[in-house]
Amino acid sequence: MTDTPLDFGDPADLDQLRGRFRAWLADHPLPQRQPDEPVPVFLRRWHRLLHSGGWVGLDVPRQYGGQGLTALHQVAISDELGACRAPGIPRIGYLAHALLEFGSEEQRGRLLPRMLAGEDVWCQGFSEPGAGSDLAGMTTFAERHEGHYTVRGQKLWTSYAQYSGLCLLLARTDRSLPPHKSISAFILPLDRPGVTVRPLRAANGDDEFCELFLDDVRIEDAERIGAEGDGWPLAMTTVSYERNALDTGHISTYGLLVERLRRSAHDRRGELPDGLLSEIGRCVVDYEVLVAHARRRTAERRGGQVAGPESSVDKLLMTRTEQRLYETALKVFPEEVFGEGGGLFGDYLYSRAASVYGGTSQIQRNIIAKRILRLPSGG
Amino acid sequence: MEAEEFLLVRDMFRSFATRFRASSADVKPATRAAAQEALGELGLGELRRTSPPAATVQECALLAEEHGKQPLTTSLIGTALLAPELLRLLGDDAPDEVPPVHGTTPTIALARDLRFPDFPRSHPGELVAWDCEGADGALCVTSDGSVTGVGLGPPSPSADLLRGIRSVPPGSPSHALGRLDPAALRHWQAYALVIVSSELVGAAASFVRQSVEYARDRRQYGREIGSFQAVQHLLADATVLVEACTSATRYAAWCLDNEPPGTALKAARVAKAEVNDSALEVVRTGMQVFGGIAQTWEHDAHLYLRKVLTGAMTLATTADLLTTLAEPEAVR
Repeated sequence: MTDTPLDFGDPADLDQLRGRFRAWLADHPLPQRQPDEPVPVFLRRWHRLLHSGGWVGLDVPRQYGGQGLTALHQVAISDELGACRAPGIPRIGYLAHALLEFGSEEQRGRLLPRMLAGEDVWCQGFSEPGAGSDLAGMTTFAERHEGHYTVRGQKLWTSYAQYSGLCLLLARTDRSLPPHKSISAFILPLDRPGVTVRPLRAANGDDEFCELFLDDVRIEDAERIGAEGDGWPLAMTTVSYERNALDTGHISTYGLLVERLRRSAHDRRGELPDGLLSEIGRCVVDYEVLVAHARRRTAERRGGQVAGPESSVDKLLMTRTEQRLYETALKVFPEEVFGEGGGLFGDYLYSRAASVYGGTSQIQRNIIAKRILRLPSGG
Repeated sequence: MEAEEFLLVRDMFRSFATRFRASSADVKPATRAAAQEALGELGLGELRRTSPPAATVQECALLAEEHGKQPLTTSLIGTALLAPELLRLLGDDAPDEVPPVHGTTPTIALARDLRFPDFPRSHPGELVAWDCEGADGALCVTSDGSVTGVGLGPPSPSADLLRGIRSVPPGSPSHALGRLDPAALRHWQAYALVIVSSELVGAAASFVRQSVEYARDRRQYGREIGSFQAVQHLLADATVLVEACTSATRYAAWCLDNEPPGTALKAARVAKAEVNDSALEVVRTGMQVFGGIAQTWEHDAHLYLRKVLTGAMTLATTADLLTTLAEPEAVR
């Protein structure tokens, strides 16, 4: 942890960027979601529109189709979108980082521009029925042949696989080595023979999560990312970015709900019990602390630090913020539970998953204990 | 300050803090006086006395963190960081002719319950002078921005054994020094909240570090207790809270250097609210990891607990802050 002064400020060109984006938004009305149009399909249209204006992948280098700016620039665009209640930026930052760090030059040059443009839609094939938080316990196996692999196994929690064309897949490539050295990463086109995708309905009614069945699927050598055994460090990089509030774009969503709670506290002055008023205050504190924390991480990253185990701290802070916020929101707006209900109850149910997805809160605590505090290993 | 200059000042302060850290709860008055004199020689009271100040708020907040890391009896916060800032804010109003009743090295005066004095909004209550080691007077800011110099009475008992508190004799001479305009008043409140919070963050961070080191060494059931997941998760949670407090206070300090006072005051209130609850939770966790030894008079743990517990009540309590923050800025 740094203990010298940090610059929490925005980069000098950020206001300009925000201004240009607002002007662009004024000329490009938000697309309307068609009746029966699945959310991911609608979001893809939105993704392509944003990309056409140059607003996707701001922190990706120019030669790969990005703008060569910083994560903070991308977050500013997310903020602007949040402020006008538009859908957020497509969440591809962590996939892009995996390719940037581990892909070959050919893969980066071919795949990143298409990913940013929304021409290829990616999903992530990491978890398995028997390997969730214990990712190293995966059993999907890629058997090596001359010039290619055959892959057998099953993946789970693969978000929106039914709408995706490509999957960033992890599989074991050696049964004799320990898991951390024997997992490799692949690019799998989901239309390959032997791939079956089955959506799984979540508690909130959405079919975001999918199962992925892989029955002797052929993957070429050229579709491997990095060397055999690079899958584990790639996965760690990916989840580090995925756990960071900066990269997931959740912050502006929380901010909108926090303001809604504060407005309600003001409008219903004297009507809300004092205890509930304090709970709203606590949500404001959680949210503002998360914003300050994200700014600190940005300042540290500008100073050259890469995402590492401290992203487990970020994930726990994000979970605290999200779960307390939706819990409180249901108390302030009970009609969402008892009436017809809008999206708030669904969002509340989704918030319960925050302490599970991307590695459970308990796994994050293990990571902090072992990799940050360097506490001794259990017997 | 230039980066190198700040590191120099910080390292100088660190050696001072290591040398003068209290070795027990029973510090002799002569030892306290010697420590305060050594602190005075560092000249940190000048950092915020001039306009423009020699150090940024962020730099002062980092020094306050350092002060919190060790059990110190010295008044860095009251006499070197808070009172000089107040005199600086008064600018030309600050007295220089009549010998002021607040003395030459003032600290600040708070309400009897250690919160910001609320009068004239409410009835004037009894005042106490806070963080009094080496102070010969105190400055009181009321909620309308009036600044008054007051004299010091006898020591007043407090749960925080390290920090000197003295009563302000009712009816004793006081001297009106001037008035802060609304923007300066907001700046003052934000600055005080940030500096006090920073000291508590330093205390919490240091106490977690000490309990982590203890968990690495202490063996029970034939293993280091830090290898038990139950203990690891306690310390991991404490670490998350320290990081949250650190981000919030340092951001608020940065706001004071770079943003309008209203923005800074909101950030400072957020920081104090986070620190009030989280620093206390962190110290309780650390004490649980230390176990029985932390329940003794000889161990440092109760000094940290006392500092953080009273610190959480100082200037603004969680209850004050949460209800204030629950409503949009425009209506306040």
